Amino acid sequence: MNDHKQTTCKDVMTHICDNLGDELNSQKCISIKAHLEKCENCKRYFSSVKTTIEFYKKYNVAISDEAHTRLMECLGLKE
Amino acid sequence: MDELKLIELAQGGDKKALTELVKLYEQTVFNFSFKICRNKDRAEHTMQETFLSMVKNLNQFSGQSKLSTWLYRVVSNHCLMLARSEKKYDYSSFEDDDAMIDEKNIADWKITPDKVTENNELKELLDKAIQKLPADYRIVFTLRDVEGLSTEETAKIVGLSVPAAKSRLHRARAFLRNELNKKLQYERP
Repeated sequence: MNDHKQTTCKDVMTHICDNLGDELNSQKCISIKAHLEKCENCKRYFSSVKTTIEFYKKYNVAISDEAHTRLMECLGLKE
Repeated sequence: MDELKLIELAQGGDKKALTELVKLYEQTVFNFSFKICRNKDRAEHTMQETFLSMVKNLNQFSGQSKLSTWLYRVVSNHCLMLARSEKKYDYSSFEDDDAMIDEKNIADWKITPDKVTENNELKELLDKAIQKLPADYRIVFTLRDVEGLSTEETAKIVGLSVPAAKSRLHRARAFLRNELNKKLQYERP
């Protein structure tokens, strides 16, 4: 008898947020992957979580020359 | 010259080696500080405090962990201390896992990550969304997902167990995704 509970969208979305980026091969992951293959809603959710992370990765700020100079002065260092 | 040699020389009082170490990490520290504070003045202040602490405590650095890990810890502690003195977050709203996952509003997004460098409106949205997160959630998300540290390293830096760090990461991802989704999803016909 198959007593596995059916994997719901909410299970999949929770799992995506829990484990994105981790290499997991548990039975749970296999059923999540199978659900993800078929469910457009979950694919969109997966894609939006990945995009969220990419946005924050790509948003960088460079240190200005003035801030660099102030840092060196504050530490009493010369170049 | 490799990093360990520079550290050894700096520990011995070599100012040139210390200058090289600071130059090696100032961009990383400034960028990470900005990603937590979302404010350039605060990020600069945090960077200065971090390097002052590095200079003061360099002799205690044993080389067992990477210098970058040590610097991430100093920045994180400084930001947490600032945030705790402000006490503006209601943590209860971040502790309801069920409310974090929004099954209903799922649509494609109308913008891709490569647009972030040229889009000030998007930057403002990203700043506002992450500022709504409590600092320790923000730090865990930034260390693990943005800076690419392992969950174990992240947990160690912020002084949490691995399950507690994973829980904060999960909630931060879901929260940020929901905040951005409000503005970035295509309207359904």
